Amino acid sequence: MTAGAEAARSEPARSEPAPARASEHLDGSAAVRVRDLTVAFPTPDGPLPAVSSVSLDLVRGQITGLVGESGSGKSTLALTLLNAVSDPGRVTSGSVTIDGVGDVLALHGKSLRRVRGASIGYVFQASQNSLNPLKPVGKQVLDLGRSHGVADLRGLLREARSLLDDMGMNAERVLASYQHELSGGMRQRVGIALALVLNAHLVILDEPTTALDMLTQASVLEIIRKVHARRHLTTLIISHDIGVIGDLADRIAVMYAGRIVEDGPTRQVLASPRHPYTRGLLTAMPRIAGDIGQAQPLPGRPPDLTSIPRAGCVFRPRCPLATDACGQAEPPVTERGDQRFACFVAAGEAS
Amino acid sequence: MSTSSISSIALPPEQLHEALQRSRRQRATRRWRLFVSTPGRIAASVIIVFFTLMAIIGPYLYPKNLPINPHDIYGAPSLAHPLGTDFEGTDVLALLVTGSRYVLFAAAVAAVITLGIGTLAGLAAGYYPRLAGSAIMRVADFVLAIPGFPVLIVLATIWQFGSPVAMGFVMGVFGWGGIARAVRAQTMSLRERGFIEAARGLGLPGRRIIFAEVLPNIAPYIGMNLMLAVTAFIYTEVGLFFIGVVSYTTSNWGVMLNQAVFQAGAATSTRGLSYLLSPLICILLITISLVTLSGAVDEFFNPRLRRIR
Amino acid sequence: MIEIRELTKTFAGRGGMLGRSAVPALRGVDVTIPDRGAVSLIGESGCGKTTLGRILCGLEPFDGGDIIIDGQSLRALKPKDRVRYFRRVQMIHQDPYSALNPTRTIGQILADPLALRARQRDADRDWERSRRAELLELVGLDPDYVLPRYPHMLSGGMRQRVVIARALTVDPEVLVADEAVSMIDVSLRLGILQLLGDLRAKVGVSVLFITHDVATARYIGDGGELYVIYRGMVIEQGQTDTIIHRPAHPYTQSLMSAIPVLRGIENPGPDAVMPTGPLDERVESPGCLFEPRCPFAAADCAAAVPRLSQLGGTEQQHACLYPERRSVVAVPFAGSAT
Repeated sequence: MTAGAEAARSEPARSEPAPARASEHLDGSAAVRVRDLTVAFPTPDGPLPAVSSVSLDLVRGQITGLVGESGSGKSTLALTLLNAVSDPGRVTSGSVTIDGVGDVLALHGKSLRRVRGASIGYVFQASQNSLNPLKPVGKQVLDLGRSHGVADLRGLLREARSLLDDMGMNAERVLASYQHELSGGMRQRVGIALALVLNAHLVILDEPTTALDMLTQASVLEIIRKVHARRHLTTLIISHDIGVIGDLADRIAVMYAGRIVEDGPTRQVLASPRHPYTRGLLTAMPRIAGDIGQAQPLPGRPPDLTSIPRAGCVFRPRCPLATDACGQAEPPVTERGDQRFACFVAAGEAS
Repeated sequence: MSTSSISSIALPPEQLHEALQRSRRQRATRRWRLFVSTPGRIAASVIIVFFTLMAIIGPYLYPKNLPINPHDIYGAPSLAHPLGTDFEGTDVLALLVTGSRYVLFAAAVAAVITLGIGTLAGLAAGYYPRLAGSAIMRVADFVLAIPGFPVLIVLATIWQFGSPVAMGFVMGVFGWGGIARAVRAQTMSLRERGFIEAARGLGLPGRRIIFAEVLPNIAPYIGMNLMLAVTAFIYTEVGLFFIGVVSYTTSNWGVMLNQAVFQAGAATSTRGLSYLLSPLICILLITISLVTLSGAVDEFFNPRLRRIR
Repeated sequence: MIEIRELTKTFAGRGGMLGRSAVPALRGVDVTIPDRGAVSLIGESGCGKTTLGRILCGLEPFDGGDIIIDGQSLRALKPKDRVRYFRRVQMIHQDPYSALNPTRTIGQILADPLALRARQRDADRDWERSRRAELLELVGLDPDYVLPRYPHMLSGGMRQRVVIARALTVDPEVLVADEAVSMIDVSLRLGILQLLGDLRAKVGVSVLFITHDVATARYIGDGGELYVIYRGMVIEQGQTDTIIHRPAHPYTQSLMSAIPVLRGIENPGPDAVMPTGPLDERVESPGCLFEPRCPFAAADCAAAVPRLSQLGGTEQQHACLYPERRSVVAVPFAGSAT
């Protein structure tokens, strides 16, 4: 390992031709292709990127998990898939191509609204709190149908009813209830049902189980798994909880300071993490299994928009393997089989 | 607010002190700039400063007894009298300036008294809901229910309100009910916040908690309401003078309006139009400016509302 | 040492104390917190663990039972005399941001309780200043960095450390950490947990750790005890490691089964337990409260409330009539990278 690190110090990534753009190596047939996406927010110091040159594929029919802490940009990235980045944030470069829809970022107004809900289902963070408190659930389903020009509203309700039944709830009772009459877990499940009722094929869930108890979380994750399989969906789950992603997702992408630092098949990434942040996170997270003596806290703290290092690798301030080369330029993406990571030192090791 | 000078790598103590001073100054200037951040706010700030100066300095520019000119009653605007003249031929501009002090001073005194009493009452009622809460609120409700304007009319028959402080005092004392209710509600909800519970758990005395922990958090609300209260009180006292229940031993804008409408008939003819419009426009300008600036005060205290311009 | 004996608490519902919607939050709970101890309370929302923490800090009154702090029974004291004892128990809230006054600097936040303490000990300004630096360093913060800043300029982990430092200013005996790390970034949680464990040794304080995330309970230091609470009753208690790896009660087993498994480095326990029926129904039962949802319920489980015992030869105490060993917790791969 030391030899690899030595090599990395003198000539980063000398063992392979540095890819001109990470996007060239990604699969063109994936259901969602994000390419070189940058989303910036204005600050007193000028516009700063919350998401910086991110390229990611969502493989058709698989569950992809996006893991990140606060300031990682994961929620902003998810919103961009809906072209819903809120003012004053702005997409300054890149594209988001969704099968059957095209580049979402090029859509506006009516065409965008049609796509949302019908092609892309989005379950918001704490969707427990984003149901309309003044209308019973059933009416909200009908509203959803009407705003998407669904002709057979009764059929829509039937679909909603079967979804809710599948989720282990008393569908009739839930459809007649107001938001405050349902528990947190029930509201979350209603949120998922609403996202699916128009037969979207791409579903995005932002922190679907945060604030839920263990048992409720387990049942919601089971529901997501079941629904995903039965409807052959392409699912993206965003969470700060690696446990949830590690259990549910087929593929995992780790975000830090607006960049994807590692991604690949979940089992592979967890079993042999390449990026120091992924490694650090796995050693620093409290786990129910394993030796507690092995756990090591990660020094420093996750950066916010204004404290991201402007030059070099964004993880450098907290990285135990940082070299001088790491401060000069942002590391390019290295590929090892199905796993991709962005680290000078790890790239040297991997050769 | 930029934390880039702070939240990156920790600086050594000497540099840190300077960096913090710099950022504190940056923050302070940025906050004051809020008041001039849009053309509307620039205009509003200028107007308020202008009228404040007028109220303080203006009356010194004129003799105690303004000259009368029986040959030019209700005169139209002219070079000698840019805003016309009144029923005695006195220059309207002079009347406006000398009358401003009473109006603005009384409104300011009333606002301070109302907010003072209302805030103290609300804080006490909200923080000690079981001990003091219901008692204070009953008094506040009583005050709220008193029809302030009619009471002032009745009082005007016994009291001359010659001094603006007197006027301000009476208006203020009848106006604190609503503020007390609102402050109480905010205090009660703040009381459940983590840092207040922690302060109680640590054994800090109640008075200290109220003034050091609760009050700074409701300061934005009080600041905004202070400005809006001034406008409300201007209307109240001008209204009182306008309907003529208070004897006009003093010259002020309400009296001018009264004279213009009832003596000159300005409401139905063009006679003395400038005499009518001058105080009206001043009141309007002040009100709009205060309302505009109260939005800036809100942003001043609440950084989340600030938009990057 | 703090002993909680048969503590009961009922929240009045819409029908008053005896009305139908009155909620019994605690139904006779016994917990012992030894000196320098680490006691974890595990359970889901609504089980009463947060209520217990708040009662211990004096933020809520209790209805029945007693709390004995350093040999003094609180039931025997008048409410205003109890305050002196409750001050020995300090709460660390879940949300470190709302636990700090956003309009004051860290220096100002610490100044008030330090001044209070100085007055009690007849100490002067110098003592306050040095104690302040001492406490901040104890919680792993640099005083020069932290003192002039406002709470929003610090990370969640730092804010929680400030909260802990503030709690320590009054020299408490117990820190009640109610979901103290659940709103903090994952990479920073271990630091806070280890800090709580260190404080037990360095300062002599005990930690009552309330959480729904069982994994975190493993990291607050050695010799930890775990109490599993279900709807206001302790249904299992014992050494933390024992309960996590060999849970006896089916409810505890279902909690452990529900913990997500890191595929690739862990295998799920083969005997996973899931409660039956809808998750949200709360039915009052004369017998075991878990019986309506228990997949292994027998006829006599609904007859009477099982008492805590070591039936079945278990190391820990539990409230199940038919305990069975089930392998439910995730098992790490041998020799995995972590």
